[in-house]
Formats: sequence, structure tokens, C-alpha cells
Amino acid sequence: MLSIRNLQASVGDKPILKGINLDVKAGEVHAIMGPNGSGKSTLSNVLAGRENATVTGGSVTYQGKDLLALAVEERAREGVFLAFQYPVEIPGVGNVYLLKAALNAQRKHRGLPELDAMDFLALVKDKMKLMEMNESMLYRAVNEGFSGGEKKRNEILQMVVLEPCLAILDETDSGLDIDALKVVSHGVNSLRSPDRAMILVTHYQRLLDYIKPDFVHVLSDGRIQRSGGPELALELEREGYAWVGDAGNEGAVTP
Amino acid sequence: MNPFLTQCRASFEAQATLEGAVGRERRQAEWTRFEALGWPTTRLEDWKYTALSGLEKLSLHSTAESREAGKDGPPELTLEEVPAPRLVFVDGLFQPALSMLEGLPEGVHLRFWSELDAPARERFAQKMVPARSLTAFGALNGALVTEGIWITVDAGCALEIPLHLVKVSQTGQRMSHGALLLEMGEDSELVLQEHCVGNTDQPTHSNWVTAVELAPRARLTLVKVQKEGILSYHTAALHALQRAGSRLQVFSFALSGALGRNDITLRLIEPHAECVLKGVYRVADRALQDFHTSIEHDSPHCTSDECFKGVLDGTGKAVFNGRVRVALDAQKTASRQSNHNLLLSDKAEVNTKPQLEILADDVQCSHGTTVGQLDEEQWFYLRTRGIAADLARTLLIQAFTLEISEAIPHAGVRAAVRRLLGGTTEENGHV
Repeated sequence: MLSIRNLQASVGDKPILKGINLDVKAGEVHAIMGPNGSGKSTLSNVLAGRENATVTGGSVTYQGKDLLALAVEERAREGVFLAFQYPVEIPGVGNVYLLKAALNAQRKHRGLPELDAMDFLALVKDKMKLMEMNESMLYRAVNEGFSGGEKKRNEILQMVVLEPCLAILDETDSGLDIDALKVVSHGVNSLRSPDRAMILVTHYQRLLDYIKPDFVHVLSDGRIQRSGGPELALELEREGYAWVGDAGNEGAVTP
Repeated sequence: MNPFLTQCRASFEAQATLEGAVGRERRQAEWTRFEALGWPTTRLEDWKYTALSGLEKLSLHSTAESREAGKDGPPELTLEEVPAPRLVFVDGLFQPALSMLEGLPEGVHLRFWSELDAPARERFAQKMVPARSLTAFGALNGALVTEGIWITVDAGCALEIPLHLVKVSQTGQRMSHGALLLEMGEDSELVLQEHCVGNTDQPTHSNWVTAVELAPRARLTLVKVQKEGILSYHTAALHALQRAGSRLQVFSFALSGALGRNDITLRLIEPHAECVLKGVYRVADRALQDFHTSIEHDSPHCTSDECFKGVLDGTGKAVFNGRVRVALDAQKTASRQSNHNLLLSDKAEVNTKPQLEILADDVQCSHGTTVGQLDEEQWFYLRTRGIAADLARTLLIQAFTLEISEAIPHAGVRAAVRRLLGGTTEENGHV
């Protein structure tokens, strides 16, 4: 589904990604772990198309297409979804409007008829139950005045409504208490299927107790330093990131 | 004398000859005052950023010279969208055939300036003096007035449905000078929606003056939407006097035209009066909108709440000058003012100036101004959800001004304004 080859990217003049190689197949869940400053968020942003990171080399192929050549909204309509680390507040744009416009943009792109208001509301209300969200949040502005936990639930609500092919979750566990983490994980797990892939970007192992990855990759200094199964996450939790050769703020140890 | 003034003088002389002695004297007095004030140029502080060079070159005729307004058929505005009761003016003249007055309760009285006798016209003119004194265009209005309407709402009379005032600039190369006098009795209530529309690509000039007086506890909402032709010039003055416990809410949306200048003065002259003054200006290439507002707290325990938002694109320009004056004995005044601007282009320009003159010491007054650009992060977020780049931009622009239209207290008027502001994304209004 996704094939990343020698991907290099800079923010400003600073190289952040220094040659990422990663293959994600349908049905797989990959966790990308790493210390702060390792390039995790830049990788998510490059995949979603944020313009502050400049791709300087390499390629990303998604379902046979050159992902990097697609506009941000085209990637979304092709089924790429980014759950933000810090979901932005948009006063004046209704949550329900955004959900409906997003879903119908995607349906139109796929040649499906747009959902009318009744069918749409029935769908969304069902998904809100799954996310244990109050319906009143539909009629508020996007994320405006939402708590940290509510914002993350809202991200996952959008995800379960849009049913992406490739979901990228950027630090989705940060700022969540244990109850909210369970709800969010439940939402994410409900989407696991043989034709869908997920990339979980996370600093801590905690999220992986609730969403079991098939593969774990350790990102440090802009490169994937190690890859393995779920046991690698536990190892990281025990040992910290120092041993992977990190120069980040967890304490640098030269291997 | 520039071409505009030359034609104004000719119109003034033509109209003066149609009047009796009192009317002639009144027009002469206003013309003399206009000449004494002088043609506004950018050398004057109040017109520093608003050059009238485009208007100066135009030779516009007053409809009163021919009284042939609206000959070209009904205006482009679908009048079916404007329900009764409505008053329609075309090129500054009242159109009984297009107006509908059913639904007006007995306590609402309408008198037309053209039908008043000389002493009544003089009383009307006297009441218009404060509004006509705000700028030189007010004096010009007094000298060239073609029609006026005097609305009186009896004490205790509350109109549940809005009264609509439609002002159409129908014919190119025309100017219209109308006057509105609105007197609200004690405990009366009215919502007045004013539609300023154009039906020509030719230059026009609309120069209306409005004087409002609110008796104790009267409640008035004025909503003005200015959406005239691309070459329209629009100058307007509003002067309001508020007595004890009255509440005035003014919403003004300046959405198109070559140049718009609104002078708004609200005077809180007795205790516990409240005013809300909110507006939106939108300008694109070569257009200018200018709001000069003045809120005068002359009495204690009054509140004012002012917020204007501007969206500037292309080479558009805007001016906001917000004066708030709190007199020495206007203690316990609460006053808020803000002006926020969204610049969509490097070439757009806004000149914003809060002007606070606070003489009392026991008051709560705040003001704030911002000038910014579209939030890239919000734009990116919407696009990651599959929203097209240009729709995302439109949505964010609409969201920026939404709080102003959403503050309109009357649901029907609010929905109508939302439609005018929203374009393709009106569905989003239901936040």
C-alpha cells in the first residue's frame, strides 16, 4: 500500500529525514517510535503534504501513485488520513459541516453519490456513540473550546467516519488520560481490517498496549535505526532510546 | 470646480427653483454650509486615506431633475426575496408600486418628505441637522435631497416582523440623496433592514442620511447591507440619540462598490442606554471602504459594544476610525471596541485607528486591533480532510466574519445576511 524509499526532507535549511525506507502493506499496523526531534512528526507531515517540510530526495508510492505529487486534499480523497498531534481550532466552521463536506468530497472523488442530510446524520450519530461523544459537539465549531481529550476523540471520530485506507496517527496518545485512551484506542481498533493500514507515531509504548502493532520501527536522527515486532517496543520502554544511537534529549550515548 | 461639483450646483439650483421660499432658503443654507466645509480632500484628517478623485471626475445627474426613476423596469434585486412590509426607493425616489405596506401596525406612521407642506419639511430638516452635520456630504444631502421618509413608532408599539427599506441605484450616471428620520417612542420596538443594491455597471452615487431618536426604553435594530454595483460610490451618515434605558443595535455590511464611506455617530445621552455597533467590510481590487464611527457616552451607566471586521483582497483598501468619547460625568461606562482585519493579498491596505477620549475615571473601556492573514494551519487542516484548497479558503474567510452576522438578533434577518455573506458555503452558517 505504501512504499517509502530513501525519503529525505528538510525543515528550513535543516535536514530532518535522512533516508527513510519503509513498506506498509494492507492490513498491517506499524508503530514508529523515537525520541523527540528524531523526525517522527516530520514524517507524518510529509506524508500528509504539509508545506513547511521540503522533500529533498527519495520517493513515496501509495497504491501505485506518486503520493508526493498529489495535493493535500487529493491525498485525503485517495484515503490518506492524518490524525493531528495538535488538532487546530477553527472558530466559525461547524464540526458537522466539516464532517459532511469531507465525507462527500471523498465520496464524489470515488464516484459515489453524496449522502443526504438524513443518512449522514444517522451515520455520524452511530460513530459518535462508538467514540462516547455527546451529540452537541457536532453543532460546535471545529475543536473550538474542546479539551485536549475531546480534540483527540474528534480526530478519531473524523477517521471512523471517513474510513481511510491509510491512517497516520501522530502522537494520538499524548494528553489523554487512561479512560480517554481506551475510547480512542477502541475507535482505532474498530477500523482495523485486512484492506486498511495504519501508522502509529508515538513516543511512548503506552498506546501500543491498546493498539497492538504488527511492526515497530525506531526512528532516530532521521533514519530508521531498528525494526522488529511488538517486543521491540517493550525493549524501548525498558531501556530508553539511548541505546539506539540517539543524540536527542533523552541523554546522548555514543554507541 | 470639479465636474462632480459643477453638476451638483446645477442640480441644487434646479431643485431650489421648484421650492417655495422656506424650502429654497433651507437648500441655500445647506449649500452654503457645504461650500464652507469644502470638498473633502486627503489633506483633511478625516479623509486622509480616502481619496475622492474617482468621484470628482463624474458628472452625475439627480433623479429629481427628470423624476423618471425606475423607468428601466424592476431592479435586479429579486424583490420577492424582500417580504412586506417594504419601502422601495429607486435612484432616490419612492416607488409606491414596488412597495408593500401591509403588515404595518397602526402605531407605525410613515410620512414622505415630498408630500409634506413647507413648515413640516422645515421641521423634518431641523431634525436632520445633527446627521447632516457629520460630513460635507450631509450638507450636500440637505441641498440636493430628493425624497425623505419620516417614520414614527408610537410608544409601546412593537413590530414583530422587520421593516425593509430597499434602496436601488438603478440608472447609471445618477446620484440619489435621500433622508430617513426614525423616531422611536417609549418602549417601542423595531427591526429595520436596509438593502442598498445596484442594477448598473455605470457609476452611481448614493448619499443617504439617517437620523434616529430613541425615547426611553425603545429598542431598535438597524441592519444595513450595502451591495451595489462595481462602480458605485456610497456615502452615508447615521446619527442616533439614545435616551434612558434604550437599546440600539446597528449592523452594517459593506460588501461591494468602488468606494464606500459610512459615518456613524451614536450618542448615549441618558443613563442605562446600550448600543451595539458591528460591521463587516469586504474589498477587492481598487475598492475602498471607510467606516468612521463615534460613540459618545454623555451619561453614566451606559454600555457600548463595537466590533468591525474587514476582509481585504487584491489592491483593496479599508479605513476604520473608531472614536469613543466618555464625558467627565459618564461614570460607570462600559465600552468595548475591536477591529480585526484579514489581509488576503500583499497589496491590500488597511488603516485602522482607535480613538479613545476618556474623561471619566470610573469606567471600563477596552479596545483592540489586529491585522493578520489566513491561518495556514487551519487551511492545511481543512485540506487534510479532503476540502478543496479554494473552498477551504472561502470557508475560513466566511468563518472570520460569521460572528458579526450571527449576532443579529432577528433570525430571519440573520439568515438573509448569512446568505449574502456566504455564497456557496451558506450551509456552514449553522454552527
